[in-house]
This record gives sequence, structure tokens and C-alpha cells, in this order.
Amino acid sequence: MMRLLAVSSIACLLALAGCGRSRVSVPVPDKEAADRLRATFAVAAGAAATAGVEQVSGTGWATLKGRFTFAGTPGQPKSLVVDKDTEVCSKGGMKLLDRSLLVDPSSKGLANVVVFARKTSRVKNPVGDSPLVFDQKNCEFLSPVFAARVGQPIDVRNSDPIGHNTNIAGTSFNQLIPANQGTAYKPDAETGMPTMVTCNIHPWMKAYAVFRKDGYVAVSAGDGSFTISDLPAGEPLEFQVWHERSSGPNGALGLDKPELKWTPKGRFQIRLEADEVKDLGTIEVPGSAIGT
Amino acid sequence: MNRFSPAGSRFLLGALVAALALVSAGCGRTPPASFRLNLVESTKQRLTREQEQQVSTVLLAMFGTPDDPHALPETGLDEAKLRLAAGPVRSDIVGRKNGLYREHCAHCHGITGDALGPTAAFLNPYPRDYRPGVFKFKSTERADKPTHADLTRILRNGIPGTSMPSFALLSAAQIDALVEYVKYLSIRGETELGLMRAFFELDDDAQGKLPESREFLVDEMLAPVAEKWKAAAAAQIAVPEMPAGLDLAASIAKGKELFYGDKANCVKCHGPTALGDGQANDYDDWNKAIVEIRKELNGTLENAAKASGGTAEEAADRRQQLAWVDRFQGVLEGDSLRPRTIPPRNLRTGVYRGGRRPVDLYYRIHAGINGAPMPAAKGTVSPEDIWHIVNYIRSLPYDFDGELGVDRPMVARDRF
Repeated sequence: MMRLLAVSSIACLLALAGCGRSRVSVPVPDKEAADRLRATFAVAAGAAATAGVEQVSGTGWATLKGRFTFAGTPGQPKSLVVDKDTEVCSKGGMKLLDRSLLVDPSSKGLANVVVFARKTSRVKNPVGDSPLVFDQKNCEFLSPVFAARVGQPIDVRNSDPIGHNTNIAGTSFNQLIPANQGTAYKPDAETGMPTMVTCNIHPWMKAYAVFRKDGYVAVSAGDGSFTISDLPAGEPLEFQVWHERSSGPNGALGLDKPELKWTPKGRFQIRLEADEVKDLGTIEVPGSAIGT
Repeated sequence: MNRFSPAGSRFLLGALVAALALVSAGCGRTPPASFRLNLVESTKQRLTREQEQQVSTVLLAMFGTPDDPHALPETGLDEAKLRLAAGPVRSDIVGRKNGLYREHCAHCHGITGDALGPTAAFLNPYPRDYRPGVFKFKSTERADKPTHADLTRILRNGIPGTSMPSFALLSAAQIDALVEYVKYLSIRGETELGLMRAFFELDDDAQGKLPESREFLVDEMLAPVAEKWKAAAAAQIAVPEMPAGLDLAASIAKGKELFYGDKANCVKCHGPTALGDGQANDYDDWNKAIVEIRKELNGTLENAAKASGGTAEEAADRRQQLAWVDRFQGVLEGDSLRPRTIPPRNLRTGVYRGGRRPVDLYYRIHAGINGAPMPAAKGTVSPEDIWHIVNYIRSLPYDFDGELGVDRPMVARDRF
């Protein structure tokens, strides 16, 4: 009897184990809501009443500036593993360092923070037609974070004596760039948050690119400062802030700044008056906002 | 005294047998097939359960279920073809085979087209995940979708060197239906990705819910994905004829020079022997996505281990991060495969995944391979030079007096 008991317990356990594939469960769709939705899809496009959102817009232009500082301890940047083309990439014992968290030791300025306007009603300047240069030298992209406007010509250059390829994730741009040459590229869509740029031949090479239609985007400089000029005045503006190592979703830099209504999604709101130069002053980024 | 009285243990035994019967019954029931949510993306985007449910409801409205597919006119898909491919394997009233996708494809590519079918983990390379809408072997520019003919060719010929077999024994109508169904799964998957990413772009007053208007869901989310598929036929790469009266030996020599030179730089990845032994520790886009997530999770764990103290708020933050990491690890366990590196092709075997016609090689070099590290040579390498490289590549399997001086084609084992 005891043996039977044991056997059937084991069988029970096995059966249970067989059923329990370790996949996280997914929510069940709401069938009725889906039927209702499908009925709305069937309505011919444009027939549905569209509540036109009144776009509030003023006149004139304004400037936004500020400076990011880092309050945590950045630590020593790691050396990158350079194991290809060492005659160029680690020429004379040169070491390439991880640039994901660049803090100016004297001013504590945090470089490579991206700030861009999410939506604007007006744009002052037309897209430029002189190419911006995105260069690589000594097996490193010279701009760790690169901002450009959609439609702006970019000269993707290679100033090394060896060949590279430049692969911009999410854009399907992945081109060979022969030694000491360049190739033209015109971004044709916005990136949303900055997207990764890599070289597949030299996998340690990494940068980020952000493309915006209106061009209202800035990357903080070595001392942490940034300026966005010619912003439309007299309308509520919302800015998105990003940093490569931010612990927020998609790199969003969430800060505790209630006066700017700063959200965990790394956004803040502001309204500028015509000809105003608004200085946000020093924006301190605590150590805890920087994750991986 | 015996702790188990005979009556007691009989009762226990009875209960266990009943439990066993119940559990087995639970296993045996077959629920109708359902599409599985892209949990890796939804967890990456930190969607709530309600947001995940909204996505699956919207997708149900747009695309129906695996047994009952639906195609909005905006998709440009033919629902009659989809019905032939969808559903369980069965014959209809005139004896025509239905449920082709589940018969031939789902065990690798999965019901959802997520490349998580039961056999997927055992294959190398892994089967294609259609959901990002990225396909490698096509006659269109890198950014464009494959044409209907491109996918048809893959189904007819299979992909040599992989587990993808030829389906040449199926009728033209059946292959046509399957190609249509692959497009359907891809459009569905790419729309799902777009919906999940759209939550992050929401304004705060949307309160974390996507607008359920036709304008947003169909015109903004679905239509742009479908448009790219419709535009594929017009995006074919214009291939100039191979220069007439070409001296093959000279062309091969020129191609070799380009292969090793700084301009085309093939040697960097395909290696000095062309055995695919150059830069070999990179990942394709599908695997890289998982690699990056794993890196992020490990980094978060490391940081959490280092961090201590701080305010109560910071501690709560950290706990939340750790809960997210924990959930994500569970999701990766069941909804992703162990990432694998992508070796550059060994060009000495004469096996070409995207087809062995000269024009196939031309497409690969001109546009690169979307989703793979292989970059595009167009723009920096002239069409004529691309033809020289094609000729050199095609000579490599027969290059018997290569570096090794052997009298047979060189293969990787000669080197490693």
C-alpha cells in the first residue's frame, strides 16, 4: 500500500511538472472590446468625427539653456578590449576608454546628456544643406552622441587608414566606409530616443545618434552645458532628457524636479516668452539616476 | 502504532489517484491556438498588465486569431489566402488542404511567427522571428521589405546551410498562401512592437492608455508598416549587366584585390582565407537585442549589490528595479533563446544562403544583409567592382591551390 502511495505521488508530481512549462503568463485579450474596436476600424477613414486639438501657439522665439552636473562618483572608466587592427587602434600603447559616463573632474559637468523638444508647432530655421561631419579616428567615433535634423546631409567619415563600417541601429544604414573616405547619409525619419551606432568590424566602437525633424535637440558639452535656441515662444513645450547610462526606461533621465514637472519618463515642461533666454541653471543628476 | 491506518492510506491513495486523473485531464485539453504577446518587448518597455492587455485586445481586433485571421483593407493582404494557411490542419469540403502554416512552419517559426516553435531551440541558426519585420535575403534595398517573389523563392528553394527546407513540393497556390501568411504575421508583429513602444511616447495626460481611435491605431500604427510591404516591389535593386566581354580571370584577380583591399574590406570579417574566420564574435540584430537586455539586467543587479543605504525612497526604487529584473529573467527564460554569435559566411564551401545565382551575391554585396553585421558596399564600391567581387567569391570554392596548396576545396577544418 505504501509503495502504491509513493508511486502515485511521484506520478502526480511528474504530471504536474509536465504541465508547468516555465513561461510567464500573458493577459487574455478582451473579446468584447476587440469586437467594438473592429467595428470602429470598419468606418471609412476620415468619417469619424475628429476632435481637432486647438494648437496653442504664440509668436517670437526663445532660448533654453542649462548645465548638467553629476553628484555621484563616476569611478574610473573601463578600458575597452581592442583586439583587431591593433597597429591602428592601439597605436603606441594608446588605450581606448569607455565613454558612457563622462564627468568633468573640476566642474562635475555631465557630458552627452541629450535634451530635445517632443513637439513644437513652429520651426524657425530651414534644414541646413551643408553636411555635418560624423567622423571616426583611431577606431573611435569622434562624437559619442551625435544629433542631427531629419533631412540634414551627414558626411559619415573615416579618418583612419583602415576600413570601417557604420551601422546605425533602427535605420537600416549600415555602410562600408573605406579608409580616409566618407559617404553621404540623410536621415529620413526621427529616431525617438537616441539609437546606437556601431562598427561591426571593431565591435568596441559605439556611439549614439539622435535625429529630430525640428532640430530642437542639444547634447551637453564636456562641462555639462547645453543650449537650444530659436525655440517657439508662447506655447507649452515639453522636453525629453536622455543619458546613455540612465536607469530610467529607454535611457530616460528621470529627476526629482517638481518645479519643472520632471517625470520618471525624463520629461519636463516649460513655457518661454518671446526673446527670453531661460537659464535652468545647474541641474544636478544624483548618482542613483545613473544605472548600468 | 502505525501512523498510517489502512483506511487512512486508502483514502490518501484515492485522493492522489483522483488528483492524478484531474492533472492528466488538464494536460490533455487543447485550448484553441492563440497568438502570444511579445513579452520581451513589453517587459523591456515596462508595460503594466493593463497595458499589455490593451495591446492584445487591439491586436485581436486588427488581426483576429490564429484560427480566424482578419485582414483590414489597409494591410493589403488577401484574407482568402490567409484562411488557406491559417487554422488547424484539415481538409475542406472539396478536399483541399487547409492549415498549411501549422503543418509546415509553426513547429519552428511558432504560431505567432516569433521563432519560438518547439523545435526552434535545437536549430542553428535559429529560425527567423518575423515580428521585427526584418528579412535578410531579398532583392530590395537594405531598408526595404522583401518582395512577394523573394519570399516565394525562399519557400521554393529553402535556405541552403540552414534548417529551412525547400517546399517545392507544395503547389504554387499553397506557397502563395504561405507567403501571404508570413507577411500577415510580420505586419502583425511589427504593429505589436510599434504599439508597445508607443506607450513610452504617450503624453502624461493619456494616463498610460493608448488612444483607441481609428486614426491612431490604423492610420498611425498599422498603415505605415503595411505601406512598406506594398512598396517593396518598387524598391528592387537595379542591377547593371555584368560588363560584356569581361575577361573572367582578370575580373577574378580584380575581385581578389578588392576583397583584401581597404575599400571593400571583405577580409576583415570573412578572414584572410575566406573561411569566415575574421571578426566572428558579433551578433545579428535578433540575438543582439537579447544580449543587450541581459547586459542591462546584469548591470542593474551589480549596481543593486553595490548600493546600500540612501533614503527610503531610493531603497524602494531599488526594490522596484530588482522586481523588474526578476520578472524579466523569467520572461527571457520562456520567451527567448540563448543568444548565439553570427559567424561570417565561409566562402569556400559554395553554399550561399540567399541563393547562388550571381545576382543573389550582387544583392548581398550591394545592400549588405539587413539584420546581420554585413554592411552595404553601394556608394563606396562601384557596380562594376561589385561584379568583380562576385566573380572572385564564385571562384573561391574551386580555388584549390590557395594558401594550403591542397588539391580539394579548402574548408574550415583545414584551418582550425
